[in-house]
Amino acid sequence: MTFQDLIMTLDRFWAARGCVIAQPHDTEVGAGTFYPTTFLRALGPEPWRVAGVAPSRRPADGRYGDNPYRFQYYYQYQVVLKPSPADVQEQYLASLRELGIDPLAHDLRFVEDNWESPTLGAWGLGWEVWLDGMEITQFTYFQQVGGQDCRPVSVELTYGLERIAMYLQGAEHAYDVVVTAGTTIGDLRRDFERQHCQYNFELVDTDLQRLLFDRFEAEALRLLEAGVVHPAYEFVLRSSHAFNLLDARGVLSHTERQAYVQRVRRLAESSARAYLMLRGQLEEVA
Amino acid sequence: MPRLLFEIGTEELPAWYVARGADALAEGLAGRLADLRLAHGAVRTFATPRRLAVLVDDVAEATERRVEARRGPAEGAAFDADGRPTKAAAGFAASAGVRPEALVVEATPKGRYVVARREVGGEDATAVLPTALAALVTELPAARKMRWGEVDAAFVRPIAWLTALWDDRVLPVAVAGLTAGRETRGHRFLHPAPVVLAHAGDYEAALLAADVVADRAARTDAVRAAVAAAAAADHAAAGSAVADGGAVAAAPDALIDEIVDLVERPFALLGRIDDAFLELPDAVLTTVMIHHQRFVPVRDGAGRLRPRFVAVANHRVPDEALVRAGYERVLAGRLHDARFFWQSDRRKSLSQHAWSLSGIAFQKELGSMADKVARVGVGAFAVARTLGLSDAEQGTLERALPLFRADLASEMVAELPELEGTMARAYASADGQPAEVALALEDGVLPRGPHDALPASRVGAVLAVADRLDKLLGFFALGKRPSGSADPFALRRDAVALARVLAAQGWRVALDELVAGAALGYADGSVAVDAGVADEVTAFVWDRVAALLADEGLPTPTIRAAVAGSRSVVAAARRGHLLQALAGLPAFAEMLTLYKRAANLAELAVPGAEVDAALFREAIEGDLHAALPPAQAGVELVLEAMHAQLPAWDLGAGPSGEVRGLDELAAEVLRLKAPLDAFLDGVMVMVDDPAVRKNRLALLAAVAATPRALGALEHLSG
Repeated sequence: MTFQDLIMTLDRFWAARGCVIAQPHDTEVGAGTFYPTTFLRALGPEPWRVAGVAPSRRPADGRYGDNPYRFQYYYQYQVVLKPSPADVQEQYLASLRELGIDPLAHDLRFVEDNWESPTLGAWGLGWEVWLDGMEITQFTYFQQVGGQDCRPVSVELTYGLERIAMYLQGAEHAYDVVVTAGTTIGDLRRDFERQHCQYNFELVDTDLQRLLFDRFEAEALRLLEAGVVHPAYEFVLRSSHAFNLLDARGVLSHTERQAYVQRVRRLAESSARAYLMLRGQLEEVA
Repeated sequence: MPRLLFEIGTEELPAWYVARGADALAEGLAGRLADLRLAHGAVRTFATPRRLAVLVDDVAEATERRVEARRGPAEGAAFDADGRPTKAAAGFAASAGVRPEALVVEATPKGRYVVARREVGGEDATAVLPTALAALVTELPAARKMRWGEVDAAFVRPIAWLTALWDDRVLPVAVAGLTAGRETRGHRFLHPAPVVLAHAGDYEAALLAADVVADRAARTDAVRAAVAAAAAADHAAAGSAVADGGAVAAAPDALIDEIVDLVERPFALLGRIDDAFLELPDAVLTTVMIHHQRFVPVRDGAGRLRPRFVAVANHRVPDEALVRAGYERVLAGRLHDARFFWQSDRRKSLSQHAWSLSGIAFQKELGSMADKVARVGVGAFAVARTLGLSDAEQGTLERALPLFRADLASEMVAELPELEGTMARAYASADGQPAEVALALEDGVLPRGPHDALPASRVGAVLAVADRLDKLLGFFALGKRPSGSADPFALRRDAVALARVLAAQGWRVALDELVAGAALGYADGSVAVDAGVADEVTAFVWDRVAALLADEGLPTPTIRAAVAGSRSVVAAARRGHLLQALAGLPAFAEMLTLYKRAANLAELAVPGAEVDAALFREAIEGDLHAALPPAQAGVELVLEAMHAQLPAWDLGAGPSGEVRGLDELAAEVLRLKAPLDAFLDGVMVMVDDPAVRKNRLALLAAVAATPRALGALEHLSG
């Protein structure tokens, strides 16, 4: 199964279960959880089902392409189901069978994972799904998002697409994964990954990113004040990415890092409150 | 009598909760059966990642019948002049569920009252159990619960099904949007069809047939056996390549426990590690294997790591090679990352990493890690002087200090924090630092937890002590001391670590002097550490010493006597066990009596007053005075024997030796008894002549002080 077959198979699988197949968001995010289709839609009572590829950037995770599993840019496949269905584990396992992963032939396990995003003011409980010892999916029941209790509870499934493809194709390195006949992930991303690692670790203009962070933060606050949550949230994502770049560049002391995390968190929590307020869901805004 | 089965089927529970959850379920059920007055026999628990269950034998069919008595109004208020029940009596009778004419009058110490007696109980167990079991589910204690879907309930993970049987009858327990039935579920993949139970007693066997080892002890045995067999297979395959002793699975108990609660049907597989990764330090390899993958390391007869591991799968897989290849690939990926950190970290020397400590905060008011290490250096030299370290040891300390905790700035420790100290040693060795410096750097952060090893070297122990004292002094000075159960900065853990290090080193130096030495680190005045803070920290550490001694089984008064009578931690620990051994001797009771008789009057003595033989007026005074030196020598001998016969130990674990020959030594001390009796019977202490009175009190004080050198005897009742 090629990499794009894998994506299309998951799209078809989840579309058949009533999911909106969303196209990638166009602002940098560290994970699919930051997507407005996850973060904002997990709030409030409306049912919601969405699936799709979420390209993610985690500057500090880059290894110049040397490590077969770790990259600063990679694809997650993100599914959010609200409310979480009673048979969600079975649905998930059915999706693996669809990909040709037979749980009977493998050692497939749900291993405790308590997920927390300090920058999003979000946490949930669930598992890492292990396929022969490799984490292939994060499976999380959201309990709080943006500091708000989730009622009903959404479940988030985050598939690590490159890892699953490596497994299916027997590839030793994500770069060896065949995207379509004649083209590998390496062909598409090798230079991109190496140069971005150089940028993240060696070339980031830290003064610029500090300045951008401040400006993005101010803009998010101004827009929240103006009552436009969606544009405001875009600037929350941008400030989060500026912070991630500073973090990867290694210029933040522990205390400074904590201060930045708190600033992004305050923005995320304000966005969540504003979103709920606009929907008439929050009775009282502190 | 019937058997009761109750199973909570769940989505996969966290491994740490499986055994605890089953215990909580059994305890909760026993409590509810007692509340309901349902007698029962043995309670058995079952627990896997997907279920918590209890099976109770011989449960009573009905709640116990008994008479309940309720007291109502006073007799005068209950009946009118004609002897008919008043409104108050009728109301009481109605609330108590009896007819008014059934009320009786009884005399109580407070007067005569009406009493309603009613027979209660006898309810059918099957009528009361469903509600009780449902409440048990919602109230089961757990550290962290979650919600799911739109269900109005919280549990550790979503509840998937409930099974409740009363022999062969279903108990319709309704909770979390589910109603219990007779169906349970087998192994998630090997046995997807529901398992229908005809009878509660079929539970264990039916699950075994459905590929679930529900009995946790049986599953533990199965995991241990499978892991050992897989490791032995490596030995057999390696043959002569492996030195004597062969290949042994090196699994800490905590790892086995976790593995047991990650599987329902264990199956072990032996995997291979690329030899190239063996360049990584042993601790890095085992941490990655255990912490990240729950793989069991394999060692040869000499204790060296074999390039092998044992993994435990959740079922026997049809194609072992496929799964093994998966395990090997993912471990290789992890080790690849570890090697990336190892190589990347080593582009800098450890002393270069130390420069980065100024960018790592220790605590807002207490500065960066660089500030902290600088303070620790000042404190460590003060501690070293108190201890009398040799010149060579001082040299090692001087070389270690600029590198202390520098591995906090390394990528490896950022990724694997449990390797702090271990990496400092490895990086220092790689830099060509002397072995004793590298060892001191690792020792200085030990013990990292309650079960961790203690420093092996004296220099490392000095660092460990100075580091802990610096933290305690700083946080206490900021007023951030623990209160009640809240200890956000884990200061108790630091005090326990400190006490363990001091005891194990056997250092007979006063705790308050060590604290005062470490306080010199704050001499720059950045944070006000005054004598009051130092006293608080000293008392705080003594509290932990007392708690550790209580763990060793010593009674509280003995611990108080030992701690109050000692200045060093090791002496307090030894005194505790000495006093415990003495308490078994008849002579000790006499010694306590002797002490108390002298101490009672001696309270009036002027502190520090010397005995002046020239002021003796009676021969008895001289006799008592002359008896003191041999008795004091006897006490000294007891203490010497104590120190000699109780080698230093890890506090909390108890000493390996015992103090012998105490009978004889006690007899030496008791030679004071006869002259003291004669003195107290024949000499008037509180005479008018102030000089003589003062002298006699001083003599009594000296007598009391003699046995008190064994411990603060005033805490012991004799």
